[in-house]
Amino acid sequence: MALDFTFTEEQEFFRQMVRDAVNRLIMPRVKELDEKEEFPWDLWKEFAALGYLGLRHEEKYGGMATDTISQMIFYEELARGSCGFAMAAIMQILMGTYFIALFGSENIKQRILVPAIKGEKIGTICFTEDQSGSDLGGTRTLATKVDGGWRINGRKQWITNGPIADFTTVMATVDPKLGLKGLNFYLVEKKTADRDGFTPGQRLHKLGSRCSVTGELVFDNVFIPDENFLGEQIGKGVQYAGDILNEVRIMTAMNALAIAKGAMEDARGYAKNRIAFGNPISKYQLIREKFAKYWAWYEVSWNYTYKCAWMIQNKITCTNECMLAKYHATEMCMYAVEEAMRIYGGNAFCTEYPPQRYWRDAKFLLYGGGTHEVLCDYLGRIFCKD
Amino acid sequence: MEIYVLVKQVPDPEALIKVKSDSELEIENKYFTNFFDEFAIEAGLKLKEKFGGKVTVLTVDNKKVDALRRGIAMGADDAIQITDPALEGSDQFAIAKALAAYLKDKPFDLILAGRQAMDDDAGIVGPAVAELLGIPHVNTILGLEVDDPKKGVKVIREVEGGKEILSCSLPALFTCQKGLNNPRIPQVMNVMKAMKAQIKKMDLAALGLSAADAGGQAAKIKVQKYLPPPKRLPVKMIKEDFPENVKTLVKLLREEAKVI
Repeated sequence: MALDFTFTEEQEFFRQMVRDAVNRLIMPRVKELDEKEEFPWDLWKEFAALGYLGLRHEEKYGGMATDTISQMIFYEELARGSCGFAMAAIMQILMGTYFIALFGSENIKQRILVPAIKGEKIGTICFTEDQSGSDLGGTRTLATKVDGGWRINGRKQWITNGPIADFTTVMATVDPKLGLKGLNFYLVEKKTADRDGFTPGQRLHKLGSRCSVTGELVFDNVFIPDENFLGEQIGKGVQYAGDILNEVRIMTAMNALAIAKGAMEDARGYAKNRIAFGNPISKYQLIREKFAKYWAWYEVSWNYTYKCAWMIQNKITCTNECMLAKYHATEMCMYAVEEAMRIYGGNAFCTEYPPQRYWRDAKFLLYGGGTHEVLCDYLGRIFCKD
Repeated sequence: MEIYVLVKQVPDPEALIKVKSDSELEIENKYFTNFFDEFAIEAGLKLKEKFGGKVTVLTVDNKKVDALRRGIAMGADDAIQITDPALEGSDQFAIAKALAAYLKDKPFDLILAGRQAMDDDAGIVGPAVAELLGIPHVNTILGLEVDDPKKGVKVIREVEGGKEILSCSLPALFTCQKGLNNPRIPQVMNVMKAMKAQIKKMDLAALGLSAADAGGQAAKIKVQKYLPPPKRLPVKMIKEDFPENVKTLVKLLREEAKVI
């Protein structure tokens, strides 16, 4: 049976367990988390105690070493709750600890990864700068080789968990003139009285995903030991970035799917109860068309995104596929949240009703893993074989 | 303490249920662990944490074992599935008979169950198991206090206008009500353990029962007919002016809706 779309009984059970945890811990607080615009430390501690932060990591460090499909099930279920909280948690689970788990020494893993899996240390990753984001080759943060280690200089922006981070994996170049070929990843910890490190800069106030805190990290001639170089050899950073970006892209697609579904299921509930001209508005064809279009696009996207997860799990090259999945799911999500806003009519415009929150959260997904302009330019070029 | 918890996988409240024929329902494939069973599992685990011992979850179901897996994910030590093709179409008494047949030789101190299953809402299986085993039972308990299992336990149940406090010797069976405790959210370690757990299967022969003890032919309760709930009638607007509209409303409530 080469073509099999079923989840295993175990994966279905896992989904049920995650859904249950999200329903009990996060769902009752979704509105409050969005409105407060603060990192929910109490929820973080409760969530970390359940052990999900170790989802991807080896059991000897306190992780669960789950398969890629289970990880995607987890992201999908988590994002159904609060997009902001999902972003903070996924930063820790996936991007924030990815290179430390892959290339960190045993000492680094014990010191950083083990407490990160317990939720005691907060991690993040730094790609974006003021003049570069999707354009990684434009990275200007500089890593200079010195005796016994490296010195890092630069400023990174749009860093999820940045203002509360204890450690980060920073992408820096050994020489900006080398473009993509000069890139590497380095572990940098927060500056303390007895250790050099990064300092958090300005915190951003965002349209959506508001309970994840986002801000700038400043690297002012920070010294790090050789051990903190994360990679096999200098200049391979862009290749490593490619691997993590596949996962980041389908993770983003999962978030988009979850937000779209949440928005449209809420809108369905509203449409079935909102009476206009003597009928629930769900009885009108123009409203039904919105649901039908969403449903068709959602199902396609959902299946394709899981196909990408399956490809990653089976180590099949899928860079283009992951880009397509991210692009499709996020555009589908844009459609869903926009139409949900219309189904709610004027009520969509007040914060009492949920569609505006889905709409604001969804916009956050346009940029991570490559803007759609950059993705489309690349995909169009590949398609045209230029 | 040796504790057994009776659990059941029931249709999710969001699952679509259609009446397929007079005697058959079509249920969407969305199931979850009976809400009240989680209080029973939690109560069992709390006692295990206090006195040591073992918690075993037990179900009668030919297909769905997620309620057992949830029990393990919460912290139960063992899971038993009683399964046999002859069990299809069994009523609550046949289910109770199978459970009692399994439990009768076991060295249990306590059997716990939810106060009722959320699908048939019968609330029969728990008390019926206790009767078949010849042990005391208390239903819909809200409190369970144990200082020394050898000296019995104190159970609290809600009664009209107050609470009833009972003392009970062990072994006994209690059915659990919402409010007894706050069921834990499973830790992912235990979830993974539950995903991989081997569920022990028992058939009727292994329990010393025959096919005649179960299924439709042994049923004391026979479903005559399933009926879907009545459809909500359309809203009727009364377009008269006050006070005529009030008079019309009262007339309609009395004569059409028959609620006053």
